[in-house]
Amino acid sequence: MAKVQVLNVAVLDNPSPFGNPFQFEITFECMEDLPEDLEWKIIYVGSAESEEYDQVLDSVLVGPVPAGRHMFVFQADAPNTGLIPESDAVGVTVVLITCTYRGQEFIRIGYYVNNEYTDPELRENPPLKPDYTQLQRNILASNPRVTRFHINWEGSADKMEDSENVDPSPNISSMLPPSCIPGKMPPLGLMPDNSMDCM
Amino acid sequence: QSLTKPRKKEHCKPIFSVDIHPDGTKFATGGQGEDSGKVMIWNMAPVLREEDEKNENIPKMLCQMDNHLACVNCVRWSNNGLYLASGGDDKLVMVWKRAAGISVCVCFLFADVMDVAWSPHDVWLASCSVDNTIVIWNARKFPEMVTCLRGHTGLVKGLTWDPVGKYIASQADDHSLKVWRTVDWQMDANITKPFSECGGTTHVLRLSWSPDGQYLVSAHAMNNSGPTAQIVERDGWKTNMDFVGHRKAVTVVKFNPKIFKKKQKNGSSPKPGCPYCCCAVGSKDRSLSVWLTSLKRPLVVIHDLFDKSIMDISWTLTGLGMLVCSMDGTVAYLDFSLDELGDPLSEEEKNSIHQNIYGKSLAITSTEAQLSTTIIENPEMLKYQQERQNSAQTNIGPGCAGPESSAPKLNSVMNGESLEDIRKNLLKKQVETRTADGRRRITPLCIAQLDTGDFSPALFNSAPILPSGSSMSNQLTSQLSSDSSPGQASSLGLRPSHDPMLTSPPASSIPCLLLTSASKIEPMKALDSRFTERSKATPGVTAAISSTAGLTPLDSRPKDGISALKDIKSKEDTSSDSEDKMATINKNLSFSKRKPELLMDGGEVVEKRKKGRPRKEKMAAPIAQPFTQITPPAEREPSRVAAPPAPVAALKLPTPSIKKAFSLQVSMEPSVFLEVENEVSVVAGSKLSQLRCSRDGRDWNTLLPSSVVTAAGSSDVLAVACQDRMLSVFSSCGRRLLPAIQLATPVSAVHCSSHFVMVLTAGATLSVWDVQKQKALVKNESLLTILSGADSTVSQSLLTQQGVPVIGLSNGKSYCFSSSLETWTLIADKGDSLVQCADFRSCLSTHDAPASSGPLAVMQGRNLNAGRLASRLSSTPHHLQQSMTLAFLENQLASALTLQSAQEYRYWLLIYARFLVNEGSEYRLRELCKELLGPVHKSASTAWEPTTLGLRKRELLREVLPVIVENLRFQRLFTEYQDQLELLRNK
Repeated sequence: MAKVQVLNVAVLDNPSPFGNPFQFEITFECMEDLPEDLEWKIIYVGSAESEEYDQVLDSVLVGPVPAGRHMFVFQADAPNTGLIPESDAVGVTVVLITCTYRGQEFIRIGYYVNNEYTDPELRENPPLKPDYTQLQRNILASNPRVTRFHINWEGSADKMEDSENVDPSPNISSMLPPSCIPGKMPPLGLMPDNSMDCM
Repeated sequence: QSLTKPRKKEHCKPIFSVDIHPDGTKFATGGQGEDSGKVMIWNMAPVLREEDEKNENIPKMLCQMDNHLACVNCVRWSNNGLYLASGGDDKLVMVWKRAAGISVCVCFLFADVMDVAWSPHDVWLASCSVDNTIVIWNARKFPEMVTCLRGHTGLVKGLTWDPVGKYIASQADDHSLKVWRTVDWQMDANITKPFSECGGTTHVLRLSWSPDGQYLVSAHAMNNSGPTAQIVERDGWKTNMDFVGHRKAVTVVKFNPKIFKKKQKNGSSPKPGCPYCCCAVGSKDRSLSVWLTSLKRPLVVIHDLFDKSIMDISWTLTGLGMLVCSMDGTVAYLDFSLDELGDPLSEEEKNSIHQNIYGKSLAITSTEAQLSTTIIENPEMLKYQQERQNSAQTNIGPGCAGPESSAPKLNSVMNGESLEDIRKNLLKKQVETRTADGRRRITPLCIAQLDTGDFSPALFNSAPILPSGSSMSNQLTSQLSSDSSPGQASSLGLRPSHDPMLTSPPASSIPCLLLTSASKIEPMKALDSRFTERSKATPGVTAAISSTAGLTPLDSRPKDGISALKDIKSKEDTSSDSEDKMATINKNLSFSKRKPELLMDGGEVVEKRKKGRPRKEKMAAPIAQPFTQITPPAEREPSRVAAPPAPVAALKLPTPSIKKAFSLQVSMEPSVFLEVENEVSVVAGSKLSQLRCSRDGRDWNTLLPSSVVTAAGSSDVLAVACQDRMLSVFSSCGRRLLPAIQLATPVSAVHCSSHFVMVLTAGATLSVWDVQKQKALVKNESLLTILSGADSTVSQSLLTQQGVPVIGLSNGKSYCFSSSLETWTLIADKGDSLVQCADFRSCLSTHDAPASSGPLAVMQGRNLNAGRLASRLSSTPHHLQQSMTLAFLENQLASALTLQSAQEYRYWLLIYARFLVNEGSEYRLRELCKELLGPVHKSASTAWEPTTLGLRKRELLREVLPVIVENLRFQRLFTEYQDQLELLRNK
C-alpha cells in the first residue's frame, strides 16, 4: 500500500517560451508521517532515441511530510540546450516527474511536450541550427501518463519489490487537469459521488 | 422536561416493536400475546391529543391480529403504507394488506425472525433470523425469495437499508456489522472492531442509516468498556466516532426521517447553517437519548422512562413525533417542536442533497427501485418495460460495476482561504531551504489534515476513538483500486477496449488520428516507453515511428528523412525523376525527402510503387469510403511548405507543386484509378499532359494543354486542376461535363463527392458546384472569415456526400459552409471545454453503432470520447456537468444537421433523448417530441417539414419513444405521443 498518493499535478506557465523554467504544482496525500523526505525530479527527455540525452533538470527534497494533504510548486530551469541533439530540438518529446522515497521510485508522471516555432516563417523554414529563443514549449497537460511502482515503504532502499506497471495510457482518476475548477464544497461536508450511475 | 409528553398505552405483555404508519394516523405494535404473538394496530389520534383520548367515540385500538403463534419481534409498514410486515419467533414473516376491512396475510416459513425492513421504494423486504441469515424477498411477488445473505456467524438481530438503495446493513451477535451491496448481494464491508467486546445480551440490535445516507449507526458497540452506538461513515466505512453515555447496551437506534437545518431566528443574521440529522438512541438502561449531529452533546436524555429495556423507536414522517416501546408493555409518545429540532428540509431540498452527494436524486433515477414503485398505466409502456428488463437480464450490467469510489477531494478550505487563493501564491509562500549538502528542500504546504480532513466539524463531534491507521487505509484502498483496476466504470479507461466510443476496430482509429488536424501532439509511441520504464526505451523505436508516421510534419528528425529516402530509392518507376524535380522546386531538402511518406499516409493519395505498406492502405480505406476525403498532400501541410517563390506573398493558401506524374485512387467501389502524366509530348511548342483513368479495368484517357496540378474524383465525376488555373470536370467515363472553369487564383485543393465538386483556391476562396444540376452551391466564398484573427491555416478540407464543404483549421476548429444560410458555421472545436466535460456515457446505447464514419466524427476526431477526463468529471458539480453535457449534445445535433449527415443526426438525437430522459428534463423532452410529431391535423399554414435530412421525423419519434419509457416519470408523455402516433398511422 503506497503511503503517498499524488492527487494532482497542475502545469503552470504553459505554453511558454522554451527558456522559461518548468513549473508544476503538485498535490499529494500522505497516509502517515514520513520519517524521511520525498525526492522529486524533473527529467527532460532530449531525444527519443537514447536515454543519454535525458537531463535531470532539478531534484528537490520535500519534507517534512506529516500525514495529510500537501501541495508545493516544483520549479526547475529549462533544459540545457547544449545537451539536446539539434535534430530533436523541434518536435515532440517528453518531460517526466518522478518521485522517490528512500531511493526508490514509486511514481512517474510523464507529459508530452511539443516544441515549435511560433513564427510561421520559421515554422516553414526552420533554421538548421535550432533557434531556442524562438521556440515555444507546450506541455500537453491534459494528458498525463502515470506509472506507479510498488516499493518498500518501510525498510531500506536496498530492495525493490516487483515493479507493477499500471498501464501507461489511462489517466489516473485522481489526476486533475490544471484548468479544473475545484467544485463547491458540497453540503453536509460530504464528497460528491456519482455512485447512482452504477445502479 | 417540557418538551416531552409521555403517554403510555397498556399492552400488558412485552412490546417488542412499534412502527408508525406513513400517513401518521395509526401505528402498529408487535409483541407477546396471551398464548401467541400479537400484532395490534392503534389509532394515533388519541395518542396525540388528550381530548381525543378522553373521547370515547374515538377508537383507540383499530385491529388486533393473533395469527402469529409466538412472540412478534418486529412490525414494519411499507413505505407506501399499503403493507405491514411482521416477523416473530414462530419462524414466520407475515405481510398484511388491508383489503375491504379485512387483513389478508401472506406467510412463509422460516427460522425465528428478529427484524424485518422494507427497502426504499418497497422493492424488497429483508428479514433476518436466528439461523444467521438474511433473506431478501421480492416485495412485488411474495413469497418469492430474491436471495439469502450468508456470512454472519451469530444471530442476526437488526437490519437497515441505505436510503439511497445501494446497501443493506445488518448487525449480529457475532460481534460484527456487515454491509451488503444490493447490486450483486455481496458483502461490501465487515466491521468488527467496535463490537469485539460485546456480549450477546440484547434481544435486538436495531441499527439505523441516516436519511442523507452518509452515516450508519449501530446498536450495541463498546468503546473502552463503555457501551456506545458506533457511527460508521459511508465513506470508507470508517469508525471514528460514536455516541456515548448509556450505561447499558444500546438496543435500538433510529434516525429521524427528516434532515434539519438551523431554525432562523428573527433578527439574527440569515447565515445558512449546515444541514444535520437527528437520531434517537434507546438502551437497556431504560433511558432514551436524542442527538443532533450538529451538537456535541445529546439534545435530550430521558432516564427511567420505562421499567424495562427500550425495544423499538419509530418517528413520525413529519420528524416531530416519536413512539418508543419497551419490554414493560408500554409505549410512550414524545413530541418535539421546530425550535428544538430545527427546520426540516423539504423533500426537494432533501433530494437536492442526495443529488449533490450521489449524483442523481432519488426522484428521477431510473433504477429498478424506482421503476417498481410507479404504477404502469399503459399496456404499451408495460411491453417496453418488459422488453427492457429482458434485455437487461441478458447482458448483465456493465453499469453495475464499481462500488462507489472515493472521489478525489480538493475542495478543502483553510482558514477561510480558498484553495484557489492558496494556489495563486503557492510558489511565493512555500518554504524552501538548502540542506547541508546544498540540495533544495521544499516544505510542502499542508492543505488538509487527515484526522479532520474529510468531514466538516459540524458533524459528530462526540468522543472519537483514537484515529486508527486502518480506517484511513480503507479509503485509500478504494481510491487506488479505482485507479488501477480496469474493469471498474469509475476508472473511465482511456484504453480503447473500455471506451464506448471506440468499439470500432482499432485499425480504423489510426487513420482518424492521421486525419485530425489537432493530432499534432498526439502521443508518439517512440516516447511512450519512457513513461513506464527506462530500460525499454531503445528497442522498438523504429517500429513506433513507422506506425505514427502521420505525425512527421511536426517532427524533423533526420531518421525520418533517411527512412523516407530509402523508400524513395526502393521505388521503381517515377521516383528518380520526380525527386530531382522536386528538389529543384522545393528548396527545403528535408521536406522533399519526407514527402513520399506523407503522401502515403494521406489516405487516398497512393503512390504507385511496388513496396507499399499494404496494412496502412487497408486501414485508410474504411475512412475514405463514405465520402471522398483527400487529406491534403504534403504540399498543403502548412508547417513546412516551400511554396513557389514568386506568388508567395499574394497567396493565402498553399498550392500543390507540379509533379511529373502521379496517380491516385478515386473510389473503392467501383474501383477507379486516376493517373496523370505531365508533359508527355510537345505539339507545336505547347506541352500536353495526359490524364488516364481506369474504372473497373476499363481505361480511358484524355489530353490537357497544361500541366495537371491536382486531381480528385468520386464515383460520378472527376475534376482536374491545371497549372493555367483551369478546372476541368469529366464524367466517370471520360466525357467532359463542363467547359473548363477559369479560377481566379491557383488551386489549392480539389475534392469530389458524388456529383459535387469543391475547389479551394490559393486566394482562400471556396467554390462548390453541383455538376448534375450545373449550378453553383457555393460561389467564391472567402475563407477570411474563419481564418481571420487566429494564426491558423487550413489543415484539412473535405466535401460530404451531400455537397457540404468542410474546412478544418490548424487551431482545431472546423467549419462548414452552409449554402442555405450562406454562412460559415462552426461544427467542431477541439479546444472546446464542453467537449471534454460532457459526460453522456450513460446515454450511449449498446445497440447503436458509434457514428464513427460521418463527417462530424471525422472532424471531431478522437477527442470525442464521452467523459474523457474522468477526474475532471468527478470533481465538477453535478448540475454544472449536466448543463455542459446538455449544451454539448445540442451542439452536436445542430452540427449534424448543418452537415446534412443523417446518420449522425439520428445517432446524436437518440443520445440527446436518452440524456433528457435520464436527467428528467421534461420541458425539453416535450419540445423535442412536439417537433418530431408535428401537427396532427393538416393545415395549410404549417411550416412543419415531415422529414429532416431525409429521415422521417415521425419515424425518429418512434425510435425516441422507447427511450422515454426508461423513466417512468415520463409515462404520461409517452402515452400522449404514442397515442397520437397511432392515430396518425391509422389515418
